[in-house]
Amino acid sequence: MASASQLPTIPVPGTTTPFQFPPTYSFPPFFTPQPNSSTRLSQLQKWSSLIQSWCRHHRVYRLSLIEAVESPLFHNAALRKRISLSEARAILDWMARGEEEGGGGKRSEWIDGGNKTMAWIWWRRPEEWAGIIMDWVEGTGQKNMVLTVYELVEGEGTMSQEFHGMDSDIMLKSLTILVKRGKAQVFGSEGQEGVKFF
Amino acid sequence: MGNASSTHKISAQDRAILDLKNQRDKLHKYQKRVTILTDQEKAIAKQCLARNDQGRARLALRRKKYQESLLAKTDAQLEQLEKLVGQVEFALVQKDVLYGLQEGTKVLQTINKEMGGIEGVEKLMEETEEARAYQEEIKNMLAGQLSNQDEDEVDAELEALEREVIKLPSVPITQPPVKLKGLEDERIAGEQEEAEKERTRIALPA
Repeated sequence: MASASQLPTIPVPGTTTPFQFPPTYSFPPFFTPQPNSSTRLSQLQKWSSLIQSWCRHHRVYRLSLIEAVESPLFHNAALRKRISLSEARAILDWMARGEEEGGGGKRSEWIDGGNKTMAWIWWRRPEEWAGIIMDWVEGTGQKNMVLTVYELVEGEGTMSQEFHGMDSDIMLKSLTILVKRGKAQVFGSEGQEGVKFF
Repeated sequence: MGNASSTHKISAQDRAILDLKNQRDKLHKYQKRVTILTDQEKAIAKQCLARNDQGRARLALRRKKYQESLLAKTDAQLEQLEKLVGQVEFALVQKDVLYGLQEGTKVLQTINKEMGGIEGVEKLMEETEEARAYQEEIKNMLAGQLSNQDEDEVDAELEALEREVIKLPSVPITQPPVKLKGLEDERIAGEQEEAEKERTRIALPA
């Protein structure tokens, strides 16, 4: 069984400080679905923000539910409380819905559709990433330059950027948004994509 | 270039640069892999030494050495590639500069053409000079005509004026009685200075 001090089973690239769980994490009812609808809403909101900040801290972009229910995120070893797989799904389902549909503002997205075992956790939505990337390109004078996607994600030039080491799928999603806005053009063969910013 | 905002085209050069950069990325990845391998070999050598298996430890270190030589070679290749990428990108900048110069020259040339070239300017200057000379002539002619006609009248007027000016000095002749009064005052003793002042005052208007 995983204990709170143990590293999560999900790979954790370059984190030094341990994640600070919010006070609600030590509150046993937090791990049980609340029957009262307003309490339930507040519970879902708290879980959503906890999942987002946990994923941001550990630089997790795609969350595997099977692994996550064993990790400290959904399993508080000190309280001996855990979130069940179905409850985790319910939380991510709520996060995936837009705010107008009574959801958590599209902060997650199922990767495998109906199976609901893997989900993107959008602690930054692709649109937000697109803005950050564009700011970096403009700030470093790299408009009209050809860059490889690999270079953006793994290159030495982006070492200090938040998107360094990002999942390349998300990078491509963010770039696609820039392409739609007419700010970039993606070309080249799959796995060797290049991008030119305008 | 520049204003083509709606259709961003990827040129053949862009593709060539991408190919170069992809090659560079591949070398990067290769280096990463080799670095991991050398670390592994080192760990294996350590394990072998712990088991007192010197032969295998040596073999692992030899492999590590070989991989390190590969790493050095790829470093050199990477440098070449990066240089080339830099040169290509710089050449593109140069191309842009050249384009800018060409456009500027074209504009300058068309403007010059509109001015009709050096000959046109010379001709214009000549014409200006001619027009000015003509204007001067007209002015002189007009001035000359005037003097010929009115010279005598002007001379006559001048003489009349001169005569008037010469007549003027005869006016003060009526003044002497004032001067006599001044002589009488002189006789009064003690007030000589005041009398003198008075005389000068009266004398001035004369």
